[in-house]
Amino acid sequence: MKGKLMAHLVASYPNYDSSLAIVEALVRGGATMIEIQFPFSDPTADGPVIQDACRRALDGGFRVDDGFRLVKEAALLAPVFIMSYGNIVFSRGIEDFVAASKDAGALGLIIADLTPGYDGGLYRAGRSAGMEIIPVVVPTVTDKRLEEITSIHPAYIYAAMRVGITGKRTDFGKESIAFLGRLATTGARILAGFGISSGEQVALLGDAAYSPVVGSAFVREIAKGGDYLERITALTAGLVSG
Amino acid sequence: MIVESFFGSFGGRYVPEVLRTPLDELETAFREAMEDETFKNEFARLCKNYIGRPTPLLFAENATEKLGGSRIYIKLEGLANTGAHKINNAIGQALLAKRLGKKRIIAETGAGQHGIATAAVCAKLGLECRVYMGEVDIKRQHPNVFWMELYGAEVVPVGSGSRTLKDAVNEALRDWAGSFPDTHYLLGSALGPSPYPDMVREFQSVIGKETEKQIAGMEVEALVACVGGGSNAIGFFYPFIDKPFPRLIGVEAGGRGSLIGDNACRMDGTGKIGIVQGYKSLFLMDDDGQLQATHSISAGLDYPGIGPQLAGLGKKGRIEFKKASDTEALDALRFFARNEGIIFALESAHAGAEAIKMAHNGDPEKALIVNMSGRGDKDIFISAMALAPRDWILFLKEEMKIYEG
Ligand SMILES: Cc1ncc(COP(=O)(O)O)c(C=O)c1O
Repeated sequence: MKGKLMAHLVASYPNYDSSLAIVEALVRGGATMIEIQFPFSDPTADGPVIQDACRRALDGGFRVDDGFRLVKEAALLAPVFIMSYGNIVFSRGIEDFVAASKDAGALGLIIADLTPGYDGGLYRAGRSAGMEIIPVVVPTVTDKRLEEITSIHPAYIYAAMRVGITGKRTDFGKESIAFLGRLATTGARILAGFGISSGEQVALLGDAAYSPVVGSAFVREIAKGGDYLERITALTAGLVSG
Repeated sequence: MIVESFFGSFGGRYVPEVLRTPLDELETAFREAMEDETFKNEFARLCKNYIGRPTPLLFAENATEKLGGSRIYIKLEGLANTGAHKINNAIGQALLAKRLGKKRIIAETGAGQHGIATAAVCAKLGLECRVYMGEVDIKRQHPNVFWMELYGAEVVPVGSGSRTLKDAVNEALRDWAGSFPDTHYLLGSALGPSPYPDMVREFQSVIGKETEKQIAGMEVEALVACVGGGSNAIGFFYPFIDKPFPRLIGVEAGGRGSLIGDNACRMDGTGKIGIVQGYKSLFLMDDDGQLQATHSISAGLDYPGIGPQLAGLGKKGRIEFKKASDTEALDALRFFARNEGIIFALESAHAGAEAIKMAHNGDPEKALIVNMSGRGDKDIFISAMALAPRDWILFLKEEMKIYEG
C-alpha cells in the first residue's frame, strides 16, 4: 500500500513557472500533500539548502502575492500547506494573510517563529477564519509545554524529529518512535519532518505518524539542475513506495 | 522587574519552538543570578580587574573651547579591555553560561568588537568559543579576525544573505537550535528574543551607573550615544530613562544618503514594525517583510533592526533619534583625535558628530556627555583609506612587495 507523503518546495525556486511544474512533478510521483514555503530573507530555522533556495527566489523577484498564486494553482492538485516566517505574515497583516491563504485554498499554515503563546494573534485569526494553524513540536518538549500546545486543539502537529535546523539527516531510533507515541496521544494528525530523505525513513514514519514530510531532499535535487522534474517524480515515487 | 520582555508593544520571544527551552532556562538562570551576591561580586571583580572599570569621564576641554558652546565630556568606554563596551556584556553572559554548566560559547559579530570581547572572555574563563561573522565584515575588519583567533576562538565566515551582522545572528541562532544542551549563545546587543534585551541592558548598565556618579552635581543637557543594535546606548541611558532629564540622544548611521540601502536609520520614520530574529521592533524592510540591505562606514551600526527597549523609548519620546553620515563620523574622528588625543571607534564617532553639532549652539553652562563606546584602532584599514588614501595605498603596496618579493 502506498503511504502518505507531504512534499515541500520553495515558492518561485528556481522561478515561478518551474515551481508550479515542480508541484506537478511531486504529485505525479505520489505526493499526497504539498508544503509551499514562502521565502523570507532571514530563515533562521533553515539549513543551507533551503536558505539558498529562498535567497535565489528572492533575487528572482519573489513577492508574497506570487506565493498565493502558486498555492491557488497547486491546491487544484493536492491539499496545500503554507510554511513561512512570522515577519512575512505580520507584514501583510495577520488577518489579511490568513484570509489570503484561505482564498487561495490552503489548508493550513506552519509559521516557524510564531508559536503558541507568542503567535501575535495568529491562532485566533486562524480559528475565526477556519484556517488550520500548525504548531511545531520538538523532541525536547516538556510535558507542560505539550499540554499548552494541545490545549489549543490543533488538527495537525508538525513534529520536528530532532533539534536543530532543516537539511541534516536524522537518524531514527527508539526515541523517535517514543516521541511520536507521545504525540499520538494528542489526537492531532502528526506531520513528521526534518532530515527525512529515504524510503526507509518514510516507511518507518508512515506507521507512526499521519504523514512524513520531505523537504531539503527535493530542494537539493532541484539545485543539481538538469532534468530535475523527472528526477523529482522518481524520487517521490521511490519514497512513497518505501 | 528585571525581565520585562515587552517594552510597550516591542520585544517578546518570537522564536522557533526548539529555542523555547534554552530561552526559558536562560531567563531563570539570569533572574536567579541577579539575586545572588556571589554572582554579582564576581561580575564586579572582573569589571574592575579584567575590564579596567570604572572607565573615566573626560572633560574635552580643547574641543569645548574650539566649538564655543556646551561643555563636552567623553565617557571613555574605549579604554575597556578589548577596546569597547562589548566586554561588559560578554563577561556577564559568560559567567551566566558557566553557572548553567555550558562548556561552549557561540557569538555573532559585526565590527568584530563583540567577537573579540567574547573570545577574550572565553579565554579568560576557559570556555570553548566560536564566532560567526559575515564575509563582508571579515573583509573590512580583518585584523579583528586575527585577534579572535589569537584568543583561541574559531571564526566562521557567514556567506548567506547580505553576509553582514544580521546574517551572523541568523547563523548563531541556527547553531544554537541544535547545540543548546552544552552551548550558550552570547548575543552581543540589546536585541533578539527575551531575555536578551533585558539581560544585555542589565550588564551594560554599568556604563550608565558609573556615569551617573561621575556627573553628579553637573548641569547636563544631554547624553549622546550611537545606536547599532543599541547595547551601549541603553546601558548608558538606563539610569535616566524614568527621569525627565537629561535629554537622551541616540545617533543612527546616516551612511551615504537617504535612500534605502544607503544607511541604517530605523528611527527616522523609515523603520516598519516587524518580527525578526526573535523580537518585535522597527526594521528596515520592504512591504513583504523582507529585510533590506543597510550601509554604514562602521560595521557595528550596519544592522536593519533596533533593540526593542530603545524602539519603545523612542516611540514614547523619551529618547530622541538623530543621524550622522559616514562623512560626519570621519570628521568627528579627526576632530577628537586632533583636539583631545582620542581616537573614537567609527561607531562611536557618530555620537561624537552629533555632540559637535549640539555643542555649537549649546548653552556654555551645560554639559553634553558622549559615550565613546569604543576606540578606533580597529578601524585603521577604513579610516586610513578614507582620510589619507594616497599614503595608505602606498603603504599597502610596499607591504605586499615585501611578501611577494
Ligand atoms: C565600538 C562599538 N560601538 C557601538 C557598536 C554598536 O552596537 P550597540 O548599538 O549594541 O552598542 C559596536 C558594535 O559592534 C561597536 O563595536
